[in-house]
Amino acid sequence: MKKLINCLLLVFPVLLLHNCTSDDREIITETPEGDYANGMFVLNEGGFTNSNASLSFVDPSGEVYNQVFFGVNGFGLGDVAQSMAFYDDTAFIIMNNSNTIEVVNRYTLEHITTISDQILNPRYMVFYNGYGFVTNWGDPVNTTDDYVAVVNLQDFTVTQTIVVAEGPERLLEANGSLYVAHKGGWGYGNSVSVINANTFQLSTTINVADVPDGIVISDNDLYVLCSGKADWTGDETLAEFFKISLQNNEVIESFQFTSGVHPSFLEVTNNELFYVLSGDVFKVSTGNFISPTGPLFSTQSQSVEVVYGFRVYNDNIYIADAKDYASNGEVFVYDLQGNFQTDYRVQLIPNSFYFNN
Amino acid sequence: MKKLTPIILLALYGVVPAQTRDSIQKLDEVILYGDRFLKPLSKTQTKKVLTDSVILRNASSLTGLLNFNSTIVFRENGLGMVSSPSFRGTTAQQTAVLWNGININSQTTGQTDFNTINARGFDVVVLRAGGGGVVDGTNAIGGSIYLENELVYNLGFNNDLFVRYGSFNTYDVNYKADYSNDKQSFSLIVSRNGSDNDYPYINTDRNNLNGQFNNTNISFSGGIRINSKNELNLYANVYDGKRNFSLPTPNALRTKYYDFNTRSMLEWKYNSNKFKHLTKFAVLTENYRFYPNIQNDFYTEGYVESLVVKYDINYQFNKDMLLTSGFNYLRNDGKGTDIEEEVRHLSSLVLGMRHQVSEKVFYEIGLRQELNKDYESPFLYSAGVKLALSDFYSIKINTSKNFRIPTYNDLYWQGLGNRDLKPEISYQGELTQVLKLKRMSLSVTGYYNSVEDLLMWVPDAAGVWRPENTDNVEIYGAEALLSAEKEIGDHQFNLSATYAYTVSKNRDTGKQLIYVPYHKFTASLGYSFKKLSAYYQYLNNGEAFTTSDNAPEQILNNFMVANLGLEYNFRIHKNKLTLGIQALNLWDEEYESVLNRPMPGRNYNAYMNFNF
Repeated sequence: MKKLINCLLLVFPVLLLHNCTSDDREIITETPEGDYANGMFVLNEGGFTNSNASLSFVDPSGEVYNQVFFGVNGFGLGDVAQSMAFYDDTAFIIMNNSNTIEVVNRYTLEHITTISDQILNPRYMVFYNGYGFVTNWGDPVNTTDDYVAVVNLQDFTVTQTIVVAEGPERLLEANGSLYVAHKGGWGYGNSVSVINANTFQLSTTINVADVPDGIVISDNDLYVLCSGKADWTGDETLAEFFKISLQNNEVIESFQFTSGVHPSFLEVTNNELFYVLSGDVFKVSTGNFISPTGPLFSTQSQSVEVVYGFRVYNDNIYIADAKDYASNGEVFVYDLQGNFQTDYRVQLIPNSFYFNN
Repeated sequence: MKKLTPIILLALYGVVPAQTRDSIQKLDEVILYGDRFLKPLSKTQTKKVLTDSVILRNASSLTGLLNFNSTIVFRENGLGMVSSPSFRGTTAQQTAVLWNGININSQTTGQTDFNTINARGFDVVVLRAGGGGVVDGTNAIGGSIYLENELVYNLGFNNDLFVRYGSFNTYDVNYKADYSNDKQSFSLIVSRNGSDNDYPYINTDRNNLNGQFNNTNISFSGGIRINSKNELNLYANVYDGKRNFSLPTPNALRTKYYDFNTRSMLEWKYNSNKFKHLTKFAVLTENYRFYPNIQNDFYTEGYVESLVVKYDINYQFNKDMLLTSGFNYLRNDGKGTDIEEEVRHLSSLVLGMRHQVSEKVFYEIGLRQELNKDYESPFLYSAGVKLALSDFYSIKINTSKNFRIPTYNDLYWQGLGNRDLKPEISYQGELTQVLKLKRMSLSVTGYYNSVEDLLMWVPDAAGVWRPENTDNVEIYGAEALLSAEKEIGDHQFNLSATYAYTVSKNRDTGKQLIYVPYHKFTASLGYSFKKLSAYYQYLNNGEAFTTSDNAPEQILNNFMVANLGLEYNFRIHKNKLTLGIQALNLWDEEYESVLNRPMPGRNYNAYMNFNF
């Protein structure tokens, strides 16, 4: 008995140990030789409220460098990285749930500033004439406070906001006009706002179908792919593809998908349009986009779980697989005929690709 | 709003993978009136009982109490925010919390947020590790937590006032009044606590923003002994909690969350010769309101009203054999922002037997058949043997089949709910060795648990999240509970420690479940000398994965936290007064139990407990 108690007393010193925790796990980041030019950034949005968004870089030789923003700056990007945009030597990283835009040098990734004033649920950014334009959903419970923030690119401040319909998402600039697709924020949108980028005034609204997800411009025409509302909304609607003239903002042609089909994303290269439907990639030509064809290829051969990012660039198709949203994602590269080329292991929930040329 | 609400709710509860004066001091013999009849069924499993002074010396939340005194691992989104347990490597929905014998896990989320339970509202908190589905019903896979209000007789009129104030404007007030004679017993506990909770994050220039909270808990229990055969008891509990949710990033939109829960129960005990009857009628309501922007009155909510009827009959066949039988009925009526009103009825039949074969050999068997039309009704069982091999050494063996039913969110979420879900099923077995000496007890348990058809929200190819029966999980591990005391003259020493080694693997991928550390160790060391006492609490939580692929760069670091307290006890006439001070997180450890959700550094408080 006494022996036992003595044994017990031996464990007492354990209680006094307080340095037995491991040192903070250093995130070891190898930085590529030279700078971040001539390679591809992959934005990993990270888990919602987990503040673990990160930036990966793939150099021209195919080497992958993860957590490069942290590696350069010593702090993380924040909560849910939505998108990224380049202007001159600057890169803007739009942090959706942080309500910030991180401004960095696009070649060194050194942090310049953080824009947070008048940024609320930011989504995407484009540039025109010394200004940046950022779509914002605003307060989630208010459907009438959505806006495009105008950022002065000299001092990185928001100079004014342009009130628009609910859920402004992707936007493009052409001929001094901004085309803003209202995919819908917490509700569902069905229009494209046209904004005069010189006067910051809304000039017109183009009605499309529900949930305009992808917009691209080719040969002075705007192509808008609307996903339609999914069945689980209880109000399923048809997906529809629009071709709109940039001259008069009139719909030239449109094509309705069959019911129960909800395509997403839209990319264009050399008069060929690419989109995604249930993990399959489709290709149609701009001249005859209303004729549906079979899929170009399926990502199932690579066991892609969720196509969460999609980009066509030069001669390749890039697909980001978010997997179960709780493990590191993967990037799959295909050629324009759909032949699998290579894959890269990236970080949590990759959602987009940016080429730093 | 629809698209994001499930993600937000899942994220809050951490499911989204995207989106007695003291345990140290001698435990009093505890008489659990509420479930005296049922408790024996778990005689072949391991229990830990926490009473008054352990409850008083720890934080008021159930998280604070259990984190330092059990093998349960918590994921807390910052101090006071949503807190989810993992008991024996299981999910948050696989721990049952029972209020005076009634399961109070949320019908919408399936789990109890341990920061919405004020432990001071109860006289006793009991932990039972391992499956308890036959007696406790759904959720009791990893283990059960029993919150009990005692009814004691012949103790006259007593008042107990506890007041604590500390760093970050944290206050904690608890008043208990009870009166009893030989026929009647009444007890009222009113608790209120709150905090600005704006602690600095160690090694950063940030503070915990928007983390303020307050809550009020009222517990009432009353009993009348009508005659020698009949006893009528009434229990009631109201919890009203308001929390702002601390910001993950400084410029994030400020949100808040309100909880309002009520529980009331009428209990009738009727004893006649060899038969004992226990009938309970309980009405529970649960209501949450989530405000996505605190500057806006808009909120999403869920409301469920439940009616519980339990009837148990015990038959003392002979001195050594007890036969039990019971019937349970549960009616839920719930609705919410994203759930159309749905009513469901669940019932079950229970049969049990306990037999003390000889002085050394005891066994028990329990059977339960679920009866409902909404989903598969499993047949559950439990069986156990206790062998007292000597007067200080015994072995306990227990095996059971347990289940966890789909929640309201899982079944009825508009557009996304899945009515074809099956319950989760768990098959488990354990072996415990108990060494009990005069001043020391040690129990060591090895267990195995196979959980099938785990209910999870998973994304489809289009990224839409829906609930499904997906993974199968294999859990095994070992637990050790130790308590010891020693006196040297006027010096008294007490030690209570727990250790758990837990492997919880997804059967398909072989990966450890997220937020389940392999190791957890707690210890409480107490010392008293005449009127002075001191105590030291220690917690070491091993590193844990936060991603399902166990990515090393997303590992949550291990951490140790220690608290130190000093108390002075004295008497003013017949009244007992205790004055105490505490340093929490004494070594100023930088730690978090959820990724990027820092917890407070060293902080202080002072308290007073006056018994009159």
